[in-house]
Amino acid sequence: MKQLISGNGAIFQGAIRAGASYFAGYPISPTSEILQQAAQYAEENPEFRFLQAEDEIAAAIATISASLAGAKAFTATSGPGFSLMQEAIGWGHVVEAPCVFINSMRVGPSTGMPTQPAQADLLQIKAGSAGDYYPIAFYPNSVEESFRLTATAFNAAEESLSPVILLADAFLSHLYEMVDLERTEVEVLPRVKEPLGKGQRLFTGTAHDKMGNVKTSDPETYREWLWELKDRHHRVAEKYPLFEYSPSNKAETLLIAFGITSRIISPLKEKFSIFRPIRIYPVLEKALKEVTQPYRHVIVIEGNDGQYASWVEWATGRKVMRVPCLGGGFKLRRIQNQIEER
Amino acid sequence: MDRSYKELLKMRRFPHTWCPGCGIGSVLKNVAMVLKELGWNDKDTVAISGIGCSGRMSGYMNLDAVHTPHGRALTAAETIKTVRPDLNVVVLSGDGDLASIGGNHLLHTSRRNPDITVFCNDNEIYGLTGGQAGPTTPKGTKTLTSPRGEPYLPLRIGRILTQQAPYFYARTTVYHLNHFKTCVREALLWKGFSFVDIISDCIELNGRRLGFKTAHQMFKWFDERFHIVEGVKDHLREDELGIAKAETEEVPKAKEEVKVKAEVSMEELKPFTLEELKTFDGADGRPIYIAYNGKIYDLSSSPLFQGDKRMRCHIAGKDLTRDIEIAPHGEDLVLKFPVVGRLK
Repeated sequence: MKQLISGNGAIFQGAIRAGASYFAGYPISPTSEILQQAAQYAEENPEFRFLQAEDEIAAAIATISASLAGAKAFTATSGPGFSLMQEAIGWGHVVEAPCVFINSMRVGPSTGMPTQPAQADLLQIKAGSAGDYYPIAFYPNSVEESFRLTATAFNAAEESLSPVILLADAFLSHLYEMVDLERTEVEVLPRVKEPLGKGQRLFTGTAHDKMGNVKTSDPETYREWLWELKDRHHRVAEKYPLFEYSPSNKAETLLIAFGITSRIISPLKEKFSIFRPIRIYPVLEKALKEVTQPYRHVIVIEGNDGQYASWVEWATGRKVMRVPCLGGGFKLRRIQNQIEER
Repeated sequence: MDRSYKELLKMRRFPHTWCPGCGIGSVLKNVAMVLKELGWNDKDTVAISGIGCSGRMSGYMNLDAVHTPHGRALTAAETIKTVRPDLNVVVLSGDGDLASIGGNHLLHTSRRNPDITVFCNDNEIYGLTGGQAGPTTPKGTKTLTSPRGEPYLPLRIGRILTQQAPYFYARTTVYHLNHFKTCVREALLWKGFSFVDIISDCIELNGRRLGFKTAHQMFKWFDERFHIVEGVKDHLREDELGIAKAETEEVPKAKEEVKVKAEVSMEELKPFTLEELKTFDGADGRPIYIAYNGKIYDLSSSPLFQGDKRMRCHIAGKDLTRDIEIAPHGEDLVLKFPVVGRLK
């Protein structure tokens, strides 16, 4: 049965479909609705555990800990809260805790514009925590896709044994669309990692060897661990090379946009070819290289000052043009004017 | 002597990382001994730690152990207990980790009262990072970051926790071993959030700067500073070792019923002249009387009049009928005070 549901609602339902049984969060626009739905759902389903934490730091740590204890866990926040969660995300990669972090982006830095959408946390997902790590991040552009990609994020987390990030934006979170969630089919992977209480393991954020022995001054062990992590993450990411490409006849310009921006520029698809990356990180290096190759111009339209554009330049080795949509101003007319000015 | 507690320690990883004379070894051993006595094992118990010297304790326990980022041990422990109520959850960490960087989590996890036990190795210093002042460093102590002596009073974890309800807070030291083990046992068996504040020594990075030559001298210092109090207390004073606990929230005392005063006829009241009234102006400890609508009220207990015969525009010892009529507040502010006489 079709129902009118918001992006936040679809994300929560997607997590439930994927088998999530733990949610921790802290109220923040625009994801407070996910927290509220989790509280409501926990009332009705005692096996689902819920924590309204004292801050995002605790919410993120609780998510990782619940995962270690055996639950499929997730949390939802926005930019400022996501900054506080970075510590836990780094920790989650080292202790190998599969879980999902939802970051619905709003205009930053700091408190910024709490109710206005942005897409400016791309670098934060990649490098917000200390050290090298390789997070997997997806970014849907519709309510129905939010539902499916949430489940995909849980699967990728189970496979990569790490936190996986699902991006959204304030626009998408509060976008209502008619979707038939019951008929939407998603694949669900089971939990493989052994929960706590099974032996004598040590889950530590300190560098350690495979036996769980702390090794704080052994470069060899560290390198071995890091290459294994990188290899595992790229292998899992390869399984989800998600993107959407709609070529237009005789178009000389390729527009690259993702998330809500790709919806806003969809009227331009007759005139331009459009490429929409869905897996935001690791960057779709191969696909970007192939797709951009025949075009004279590549324009990246995004809700930040060129974060993804710099990744496209890195992946393709060519200069691209940037159309930033800043301060929550996603207007088609404005974007068109900016494209024409170039 | 029963050495079976060693089954709960990762003996293959010994010798451990701590300095000779450190109190953490004692904490680890005694907690392991009590866990063994209670029959808890690696299938039903997990150990959680934060960061610091004491944060390394969980790694030496032969249990599934979680070594969290700095300060987050309590959140992790609470969550693990929520998801897996069948597991016993023990937190082994330090004062800086639990009370400073994890201070917010200490407040809120204790408020939510999960059934976990916290052992805080309280050595009053940041040891692992080299000896900086911590949240529990006593005032006046010289450390690397307080070269003229710590300027602030220490955080009183006990006072904070015993304001929550219900609560279990025990203070002991690594020197008072029997008392220490009693506290550990009671805390582990307590249903709810229990916190054992173990005063411990850091001889290398704190004790030597304070003038102690050996760990033993520090132990004797603990013996001088603290004494054990028997029985269960509501609160512990700063020099007391013991257990403070309360199983339920204190029932707030029923409000004292206000007795309705019988109306006294004007004739029965003691008559005052305006001249007489003037003497009751609150000066030199005399009561504060004012007149209103022909009655004399005793305003001595008014917080607004206390210690001064004047309160903003009202003066004690006068007929204030007119003043109160034009005042921004009503007459009810006066009527609640006792009537002591009438104006002649």
